[in-house]
Amino acid sequence: MSKRIAVLLFPGTNSEEETLRILRDCGGDAEFVHWTHASALRQYAAYVLPGGFAHEDRIRAGAIAAHDAMMETITAGAGEGKLVLGICNGAQILLEAGLAPGTHPARQATAAFTHNAPERHFICRHVYVKLAVEPSRCAITASLPEDALIPAWAAHGDGRLAAREEELVTIENGRHVAFVYARADGTVDDAATPNGSALGCAALTNRDGNVLAIMPHAERDAWNLNHLARLTGKDVLAPSGGSVLFESFVKAVSIS
Amino acid sequence: MHTKRSPQRSRILIELDSLALSAGERQRIAQALGRPPTPVELYAFDAQWSEHCSYKSSRAQLRRLPTEGERVVLGPGEDAGILYLGEHAGERYCVVVAHESHNHPSQVVPFEGAATGVGGIVRDVLCMGARVIGLADALRFGDVRDPASHQRHVARSVVDGISAYGNAIGVPNIAGDVSFHEGFNENALVNVIALGLVKEKEIVRSFVPPNGAGWALLLVGKATDASGFGGASFSSLSLDAENETANKGAVQVPDPFLKNVLMRATYRLFDMLHARRITAACKDLGAGGVMGCSAELCASGGFGARIELNLVNAAVPGLPPEVLAVGETQERMLFALPPEIVEEALRIFNEEFTLPEIAYNARAVVVGSVTRERRYVLTHHGDTVMDVDIEFLTKAPFVTLSAASTSSCHPERSRGTDAGNALARYNNCSREPLYRRYDSVVRGCTVLPRGYADAGVVAPIPGSRLGVALAVAGDPDLGARDPQRAAEDAVREAVRKVLAVGAQPIGLTDCLNFGNPNKEDHYADFIAAVDGLERAARSLNLPFVSGNVSLYNEDSAGNAIPASAIVACIGAIDDISRIDGGRPDEPDAANPLAEIYP
Repeated sequence: MSKRIAVLLFPGTNSEEETLRILRDCGGDAEFVHWTHASALRQYAAYVLPGGFAHEDRIRAGAIAAHDAMMETITAGAGEGKLVLGICNGAQILLEAGLAPGTHPARQATAAFTHNAPERHFICRHVYVKLAVEPSRCAITASLPEDALIPAWAAHGDGRLAAREEELVTIENGRHVAFVYARADGTVDDAATPNGSALGCAALTNRDGNVLAIMPHAERDAWNLNHLARLTGKDVLAPSGGSVLFESFVKAVSIS
Repeated sequence: MHTKRSPQRSRILIELDSLALSAGERQRIAQALGRPPTPVELYAFDAQWSEHCSYKSSRAQLRRLPTEGERVVLGPGEDAGILYLGEHAGERYCVVVAHESHNHPSQVVPFEGAATGVGGIVRDVLCMGARVIGLADALRFGDVRDPASHQRHVARSVVDGISAYGNAIGVPNIAGDVSFHEGFNENALVNVIALGLVKEKEIVRSFVPPNGAGWALLLVGKATDASGFGGASFSSLSLDAENETANKGAVQVPDPFLKNVLMRATYRLFDMLHARRITAACKDLGAGGVMGCSAELCASGGFGARIELNLVNAAVPGLPPEVLAVGETQERMLFALPPEIVEEALRIFNEEFTLPEIAYNARAVVVGSVTRERRYVLTHHGDTVMDVDIEFLTKAPFVTLSAASTSSCHPERSRGTDAGNALARYNNCSREPLYRRYDSVVRGCTVLPRGYADAGVVAPIPGSRLGVALAVAGDPDLGARDPQRAAEDAVREAVRKVLAVGAQPIGLTDCLNFGNPNKEDHYADFIAAVDGLERAARSLNLPFVSGNVSLYNEDSAGNAIPASAIVACIGAIDDISRIDGGRPDEPDAANPLAEIYP
């Protein structure tokens, strides 16, 4: 079976170019699939939902996109164990579709990435995310070292994990929080969380660990040129920093 | 069935008396036509001969600025200027840059006004065949100390509007500045700059090429509505508080979601045209709407045009022909295409990118054609509602203005006033609370995001070490005292900022924000500023490749704003690995700007 990766284009997606580029630079056989070609999705081995404002984020971020025709195939594929990575708006869509944290048997949404707190507005801030589960808990992170610390950009107005108290307990006990916000030195505390997210959560995985919904954009700090201050003598055009997440994803696709 | 509507019976939304056309200009039009103009013609000339479209008060002065240089691929005159950036993989790449103001709309309806400012500047770059790769904003607000003041509302909502629009379309905001000065209390300034990337051989021009007779005129985008009707002449008059309702109606409504899709569909169309080696023409719809855009696109190619207004996709039925003709509804583009490509273009916009499902009645539609005869003809359900010489329409008469030997500046208004001293705390702090609302890193090409250094830098060509730097400058406090020195300093400061990140300055843009050109002292400030720009640019051997003039910026007492020549400098970097990485400002709750931008 082909190991091709589909990068989904919803109307309103805006981070498609850099997402496709980092997947390819990490060796992935990735290409765009446009919203009018939903039926083509079935033939792909894995799916990436990039950032943006799909369907204008009407009602709530990701709410309409979760019902886009493309999501039928994504939901079916996730059920078959295909890998699904959602970034920022893509993560919001996965939560609205019930694919992450995926704790409801009927694939209903049980949590949301909702408006930031205490201030509700959009923020664009450089952050670090730290792997909060053992790497093998989620197939997409399986190649990362324990406690992996990944640079990324938080660029969202709706990045705060919110859910009912009992659901937060389920999320925590079920080890669904794949990444938490951290400082550059790896310290995890409230000040490292830019948006008031519950449990300091930056990313959620599902029960089976084949779906990852991550809010910050690792693909925007994924080449040396994106962080000249952290340049370590390597080629300025080479992938580095946030690219490790995509390397791990591509590797997981190849062995899936 | 459509009912026939004669031009005489069409409903007039704005009283004809409120047109910006002077009595002399009206007479001139009637004489040239040999008959009284129709209402549609009056609105058309009102827009086309407005200061906003014609630069009638400023052209003679602007000609003094240097516009040539070895990097200049396209100087001022079209929607954006173009500078040569460098070569990568055997291709010659260029930077496209446009710089405009959206001052009056942002004062009246700040969120929408600022957002549509971004929308407009993005289209100016897009229509040159470019990928849009960066944004910058230069903002000038009034005394914002009182949380309940309109100035505070404007300062906050403008930033929200720029943020909402730029973030949604996926273009990083990489440079800009903000200043507070009481002279902007009743007239804030919102200047926006957009950068694009295009291969030199794939530049799309804003005129119909020599083989274009009979080509189709394809209107693409949002359904035309009554928003933005009278926008061009609104920008060309001083704000009048009593006219608030008409003013608000003249402001356009932003739709960044539709723009996101429209941009990507336009990229696809250009890719298809380049693959088939077809030279098309494109222009965005701004001031003067369908009429202004189509008239300029065809006239500058030496052609005429014929448009059936009833073919324009409208948001509501029964819009009068003058609104269909000159209304400034946002998110629209016009293409002149050879007939054999029209079917494919319609498919891209309407089926592949599903415009009709993105916004109500948004679509691509053929509205008319390019004609050999140099007339500009509009019909509406079979009635001819406009029929004029296209040259006469698009060449507004010059206005000769006199300037006083004294300037409008009142040094006492600027230095040492209570407000000035109190606003210093907002002027002398990190801009982090403001720019953290802007996505500075979307596209993944950002090398120096907003706030990391004096200029923003992007590496827009994947796999290439070429970089583009952008910075803006302009000190209103100095402008209020000495317009010439402020303009000169704006050039030098913008250039210094670009040099500071290790880039080579290659070109400039300017937006000249000034008072009422009919007042001799205000006009003297404008001339002094052009003197300053000319002097600095010539001494640095840098060309101006794009620019904009915003006049009639004055308060209700007739005082001009602080003279504001706002300058952007574009820098080229051969190898981004040689530049310094910069450092971000940390968020600080004690920052005074956090009061405005919590």
